Amino acid sequence: MDEVKIAAEADLTRINEIVAEYSEEKWALIPLLQRIQNEVGYIPPQSVPIIASAVGLFPSQVQGVISFYAQLYTEPRGRNVIRVCRGTACHVRGGKTILKLVKQHVGLEEGETTPDLEYTLETVACIGVCALAPNIVVGDRVYGHMNPKKVEQLFKKSGG
Amino acid sequence: MQTVTITLDGREVSGYPGMTILELARESGVNIPTLCHDPHLTPIGACRVCLVEDERTGAMLASCVAPIAAGMVINTNSSRVMDHRKNIVKLMLSSHPDSCLVCDKGNRCELRQIAADMGIGLVEFQRIPQMATIQEVNPFLERDLSKCILCAKCIRACQELVVEGAIDYFQRGFGTRPATWNNVPLENSECTFCGTCVALCPTGALTEREKLYRGTTKTTVETTCPFCGCGCSICLEVKDDYVVRVTPAKDSPVNKGTLCVKGSYGCDFIHSQDRLTKPLVKYNGNFEAVSWEEALGLVAARFKKIKGEYGSSSLAVLGSSKCTNEENYLLQRFARCVLGTNNVDNGSRLYSSASRVGLGSSIGFSGTTNDLDDLEQSEVIMVIGADPVSSAPAAGYAIKRAAKYKGAKLILIDPRRTKLASFAQLWLRPKVGTDVALMNGLAKVILDEGLLDEESIARRTDNFEAFCRNLEMYSLEYVKEITGVPTEEIAMAARLYAKASRAAIVYGTGITQYMTGTEGVKALANLALLTGNSRHGGGGIYALQRENNAQGACDMGTLPDFLPRYQRVADSGARRKFEQRWGVSLPGDRGLTALEIVEQAREGKIKGVYIVGENPALSFPDSGLIAEILASLDFLVVQDMFLTETARLANVVLPAASFAEKEGTFTNFEGRVQKVRKAIEPLGESLPDGEIILRLAERMGAPMPYSSPQQVMEELDELVPLREDVGYAESERRRSIYGGQLLKDFARFCPVEYVPQARTNGDYPFTLLTGVTLFHLGTGSRTSRASRLRKFSSQAFVEIGEFDAEKLGVNHGDKVKVISPVAELTSAVTITDTLPQGTVFMPLSFPDNPVTRLFSISLDPEAKTPSLKACHVRIERIEPNG
Ligand code: SF4
Ligand code: SF4
Ligand code: SF4
Ligand code: FES
Repeated sequence: MDEVKIAAEADLTRINEIVAEYSEEKWALIPLLQRIQNEVGYIPPQSVPIIASAVGLFPSQVQGVISFYAQLYTEPRGRNVIRVCRGTACHVRGGKTILKLVKQHVGLEEGETTPDLEYTLETVACIGVCALAPNIVVGDRVYGHMNPKKVEQLFKKSGG
Repeated sequence: MQTVTITLDGREVSGYPGMTILELARESGVNIPTLCHDPHLTPIGACRVCLVEDERTGAMLASCVAPIAAGMVINTNSSRVMDHRKNIVKLMLSSHPDSCLVCDKGNRCELRQIAADMGIGLVEFQRIPQMATIQEVNPFLERDLSKCILCAKCIRACQELVVEGAIDYFQRGFGTRPATWNNVPLENSECTFCGTCVALCPTGALTEREKLYRGTTKTTVETTCPFCGCGCSICLEVKDDYVVRVTPAKDSPVNKGTLCVKGSYGCDFIHSQDRLTKPLVKYNGNFEAVSWEEALGLVAARFKKIKGEYGSSSLAVLGSSKCTNEENYLLQRFARCVLGTNNVDNGSRLYSSASRVGLGSSIGFSGTTNDLDDLEQSEVIMVIGADPVSSAPAAGYAIKRAAKYKGAKLILIDPRRTKLASFAQLWLRPKVGTDVALMNGLAKVILDEGLLDEESIARRTDNFEAFCRNLEMYSLEYVKEITGVPTEEIAMAARLYAKASRAAIVYGTGITQYMTGTEGVKALANLALLTGNSRHGGGGIYALQRENNAQGACDMGTLPDFLPRYQRVADSGARRKFEQRWGVSLPGDRGLTALEIVEQAREGKIKGVYIVGENPALSFPDSGLIAEILASLDFLVVQDMFLTETARLANVVLPAASFAEKEGTFTNFEGRVQKVRKAIEPLGESLPDGEIILRLAERMGAPMPYSSPQQVMEELDELVPLREDVGYAESERRRSIYGGQLLKDFARFCPVEYVPQARTNGDYPFTLLTGVTLFHLGTGSRTSRASRLRKFSSQAFVEIGEFDAEKLGVNHGDKVKVISPVAELTSAVTITDTLPQGTVFMPLSFPDNPVTRLFSISLDPEAKTPSLKACHVRIERIEPNG
């Protein structure tokens, strides 16, 4: 718990630095949010007022922008983001079962992150490699032709 | 100007370039329905209900955003337009709950209205599932976002008009809704419950809570808010002689469709159970309800007796900065003609006399020089000694709009970090009570750096040399030493202010309620004169007024040294005009001011006092002592809506009607004279103050023959015509010239000297600052009886900075004793990060915790305003078990 807290404080400190830098250079809101997202991995709600005052907007406006873009997150995400495909091709080839198994293996529901920040589980509409369906993506790597055994191996291998 | 001509529903109409189709249609009397459009808000074209077609291109245009272009052929109601429009409304209805029958918006719902107008009944589309009502604990407003049609009026109102930014869209797609930051309940957000969003919401998504009545009222009466000096126009919605709702009047140039929480939700004091409905007479220490006949007979007899025995100067009248202009006129005439004394004053003595005296002697004008629109257009706004966001919300909105959206640079000068600090370009934090030195410092920088407006100084002012000589000692270093403000900041503020072509100064009780208030006002006026910012059309000087008719009470001569419209009592020529009209001879000696009346009462020289709509037993300094003195008078008459702390001390209490029960005018801080209209009959046997004064005069055998408020104003216009050259001709917008001792547009530099204030000492180590909160006003006699305001904010508090709290060992919520040399109070601690070290803050207006009691009586030598802004205290922790 404390580790998480310390991590969160470190994140805020980093955000403060970015915002301070920003204040000199005067970027627009979205690039600022993207930079925070890239460097810190998420945009904690506590940082919204700081960001808002730096860009001369209201906190509620900044939050509105963050909630509008799916690529901006308000919670820390795992080091390995698992995306299970729910596209049509994957669906007909048992994608649903794969999702269920992945959920069991990592102990997460969609959108959740493990407390140790190892994994975040998400689903996506289609990743565009339907020939390999059913697919999952972990980090930047695509794993095709998934079956229960492969799921088990995959998460054993990476220590989950 | 060049015009653009289009064909609108077969008719040729012309507008100016840049106008939208909707604007031109409205001007030409063509009705186009709208849901997301409001003239005060930036158009966004979100709802598409205002669709029209351009016959030439077949294009469908949202008329609220589409500008007119020459040659357009616009149809606003062709069958194609109607089909599209119907579909749009049906789509909205398909995701709207079927709760119209029980919805609070009732017939005021614009969505329902438009659907009905277009003959839309049941919607055949598949229904979209709904979200639940948000649970709120605040007593003011309720959100049921299942009824939201995403018009974003609330969001724009909150951001663009009142500039709180409490809400914005959250999420996207079907889930989109206006939400607070972090989705917290409104009471934990920036929301101030101003009610502006509720008034603008076209559907039942935002509604008022704890309302007295659901549904639509038949009568709506436009009148003027009875609370602060801004004078917002409000609409009272009336059902069966009951004011059930208050909404902002849309067209007011003062509030532009907004209100604050007091205006929106504070007027239910009108129907408070505590309202007095019968005259009361104290027999053997207990009040008994009596007839008007008996009460007035008694008052007349006793006043006559006192006058006969001790002379007119043993009587005094304290009038009201809350009553109408006409009532104040009657009251001062009553004092002067019937009682025969100039001992007449009004409650604004407590907070704004320094403006009248200070501005009068420097710019020859009794108050604020420009209007709120000018303020909003200023390039630089300097706010000093004022927290307009709390004390004058409509002015606060204008300042925030100017700073946030119109590029104005805000200089805030305040030891406390008020809400305006986050809008400020520069925030100076002088030590309490050092403003005169700081202003002199700014003036010196302006002088030294040659930033002055020499032409205006040469042509329109005198006494400049004396002023310059006096500034010599105010070097940056010296001023820094006194005020604690770094020299660079002083210089920056001076340059910012002086270099702008239109720079405004806004000030309030943080200047006027010091013993040196008049000096402070003069110091501010000097700055404006130095930079040519004192004239109409220039930046201007804005003297905020605490109460609705403070300006008017003074304009009407409820003052010991002035007859109406600032005709000097001492001037026999001025007196003669009134004497001829009224057929009496008027006393020519200056009378007593409010605090002097009490002082003389203490010495036994004043025997009888008539108090109308004021509550000195709470509002005056050392109020405990004041109450004792009032109680010991031979005869005290109090006329009020409630049995106030002062009324309890009276021999006779006369029940007055509220603002909603009478006709007349109030003058706001800008000097705008605005209508007060009767919405309901007076409660019980209460009567409008003016009516009571007339009846009393008659009982005293000196009737004042007026049959209407208009007649009063006509008489005044005849006796003292307004000078045309004051530049305000429209009937609802008049100004008065102070004493007429300076020529038009002419002003005088008044050198002022900083006088060091007493310092805190070991016994009383803290400086206590006082001020108003957003939710209450005056002594709280009305706001504490407004059920929702009371529910939301009923506990007084003392704000202590983190550092001081730690040193004192107190936590948030702890009870402490606040002890001054005069008295002590017990209050709960609120820890804050807004105060400088060694300074604490307590709000006024909490009847159970009258902070005025802590002050000793010390008066500004010129304005006779008591010091009520700052005093020295000690804080003692109360041990939880003892
Ligand atoms: S809550 Fe009302 S005002 Fe706000 S977007 Fe919804 S319908 Fe419009
Ligand atoms: S009540 Fe006023 S402050 Fe609150 S959300 Fe509505 S507009 Fe904003
Ligand atoms: S700002 Fe003043 S005048 Fe306007 S609604 Fe509020 S209290 Fe009334
Ligand atoms: S009123 Fe024009 S789009 Fe809503």
